[in-house]
Amino acid sequence: MTNLRVQPLDEKRIRISGIPPVLATMLRELPEILELRDAPEAHQRLFPNPTVKDENINKEWAQMTTPELRHLFVSAGETVTRDLIALASDKKGRDPQQVIFPIEHVNAWMSAINQARLILAEVHKIDEQEMNRTDFNPVSSRDMAALRIHLLGYLLHLFVELETGGEREDAV
Amino acid sequence: MAQPGVILIEKIKAKEERTTPWNVVVHNDPINLMSYVTMVLMRVFGYPRPKAETMMLEVHNKGRSLVWSGGREQAEHYVHQLHGHQLMATMEKSEA
Repeated sequence: MTNLRVQPLDEKRIRISGIPPVLATMLRELPEILELRDAPEAHQRLFPNPTVKDENINKEWAQMTTPELRHLFVSAGETVTRDLIALASDKKGRDPQQVIFPIEHVNAWMSAINQARLILAEVHKIDEQEMNRTDFNPVSSRDMAALRIHLLGYLLHLFVELETGGEREDAV
Repeated sequence: MAQPGVILIEKIKAKEERTTPWNVVVHNDPINLMSYVTMVLMRVFGYPRPKAETMMLEVHNKGRSLVWSGGREQAEHYVHQLHGHQLMATMEKSEA
């Protein structure tokens, strides 16, 4: 992962370069993961209530705001899915690989990557203790989900650095 | 027809509703990156990095951080923005 970079290619385009095969596979699976956003556990996490106990506000929010947020999330996923077509068609190509996309898509990429991380966590019931583990059993789907969350998190962190020049990586 | 006293109480309640500040609270989340949460607080509220990092660390260490306080409409707008960035955020009436 040390060669993985998210950098401007020129004034209008961003390039993710040095994508190792394992991350390329995960990125190709991104659209499939995002389709799970309406699974009950994932839906509750992606579209939480705006208050802890005011049922009227929560109900109004679910009717008025949740569809708008859902549209925003779906749109981000579709943008990234289109950008990933080049990577999908490059399965037998260069290694490591790269993806190039318009600079306006950066927010969509951050949204889609983070959605996927949150969906994986909810669907596989990954908690803080699970996130702190470093040993992953390759035959455990739950462990592989945690590994995906970490690897996608590393990529997301590179996007955050691109945007802010920050240097932290751990989960809140 | 309502009695004058009833109307007065309703007016007082309505005024309290308008003037009571609302708090926007960000909650702990084991998945969201610290760097990502800091970036979102900088973006949504325009906070400088040190202030955003202090709030992010409060979320991390104490489970929640009051990140903004003010009118209800603006609080709703900020919670909407935070949810749009997939942060766990709620709004609540200030008890102060």
